[in-house]
Amino acid sequence: MIELSSVQHGILKIPSLQIPPGSTVIIGPNGSGKTTLLKIIAGIVTPHPGTVLIDGKSPAAVDTGWLNEYPDRNLLFGTVSDEIASPLRFRYDTCPDARTLVDSVARESGISHLLGRRTRDLSGGEKVLVSLATAMVTGPLVLVLDESDSHLDQESTNTLTRMITDSQATYLVWCTQDMEAATCADHVILLQGGMVTRYGTPVEVFTELTGDCLYPLSWRLSKNAPPV
Amino acid sequence: MPLLFEDVSYTREQFHFTADALFEEGVHLVSGKVGSGKSTLAFIASGLVQPGAGAVRHTQIRKSLLSMQFPEYHTTGITLNEEVRSWGLDPDAILSSTRLSGRGEQDITILSRGELKRLHLGCVLSCDADLLILDEPFSALDCREKRAICRKIVERGHGTVIICTHEQTWLPPVDYIWEMRDGTLVSCGRVPAAISRWSLAPRHIKDLVERGLAPGNISPEAVMEATCRTRE
Repeated sequence: MIELSSVQHGILKIPSLQIPPGSTVIIGPNGSGKTTLLKIIAGIVTPHPGTVLIDGKSPAAVDTGWLNEYPDRNLLFGTVSDEIASPLRFRYDTCPDARTLVDSVARESGISHLLGRRTRDLSGGEKVLVSLATAMVTGPLVLVLDESDSHLDQESTNTLTRMITDSQATYLVWCTQDMEAATCADHVILLQGGMVTRYGTPVEVFTELTGDCLYPLSWRLSKNAPPV
Repeated sequence: MPLLFEDVSYTREQFHFTADALFEEGVHLVSGKVGSGKSTLAFIASGLVQPGAGAVRHTQIRKSLLSMQFPEYHTTGITLNEEVRSWGLDPDAILSSTRLSGRGEQDITILSRGELKRLHLGCVLSCDADLLILDEPFSALDCREKRAICRKIVERGHGTVIICTHEQTWLPPVDYIWEMRDGTLVSCGRVPAAISRWSLAPRHIKDLVERGLAPGNISPEAVMEATCRTRE
């Protein structure tokens, strides 16, 4: 369980929040605190005041894969293969082991053809796919993705969804502005003005939002949409 | 204010781009898979990248403007006020219209990415450009902002707008649809006929076409109208 208590940081004010294992999506308007919450869960930011525990441990003590909403801020190395291999090299994997894992994650991500490319020459969507592969290559316990789908086409989004669904991560916490994608999560957190205003399954949360543009268009159009 | 791509080609390493197309006055949607060449098209159309062969010609275009997909690439000011002034615009008016009033002296780097995109597009759409090229204008925006951007594009009512995007839901009514297919620009034609030829159409639009309920345009309003349309 990811447990937040008495968190106040920047715009965020979260007295208490428990995130169970599985896929949890954070939605909300621009500037509502989604990125701040994700950074706190990823251990990039320490809240003052507030406590965050992941299975009883500090986020800094947990293996976490992180994907920044600014695609260029994820990329450190000159070539795609070096970029994906970097978390493995930082933990002193042998070169043959690292190469095997890089080839494997690239194949699963459908980006094997990019391995020899320079990172600076990638398109926006390609940068996201490479960064996601890098975040996943160590098989982290927690995978935190900040709007990873905002530069992807539908096919790539499907690939990304499959990758993160198939990943070994116990906790997948992500945010998106694509409400169709949000309906696929196990849990939805709606943030507004830094506060959690809705939390539940997609049906529970979106049923309360039928008059809002957040309500998924496919549910409006479908005869088989969940009851409203 | 047409924009003509005359047998244009451009090569970078393994990637090869070709386009032979005429962009008439109106709103054009360009869709394409990741890495298919949408941003290259935007750069060539704006003159920032010169084609290796062929030519880009235009008439009656006094001013063109490219909005790159990453708003951080455009940032030159330290504060929000400085950033707006760098566009030659009035900070109070722009910050008010982008719901950022009272934050003019804040460091621009503390904005969320969606807020930065909102500020950037507020500036872009306040400039009176005859040719406006928007590369992924909807990324990072929430649904209210996406709707607002769609409204502003419609309200322009003149000139040529080229929108390169992956957005699946919040799209403005458009006049033409194009696809980038492995580096080649392909015309789907003029809307509404283009919709049934649009291979990368969002799932909900494809479903309507397959059910014989093709919408008159690609905006959510047109899609809802098609869904609720009564048949004779």
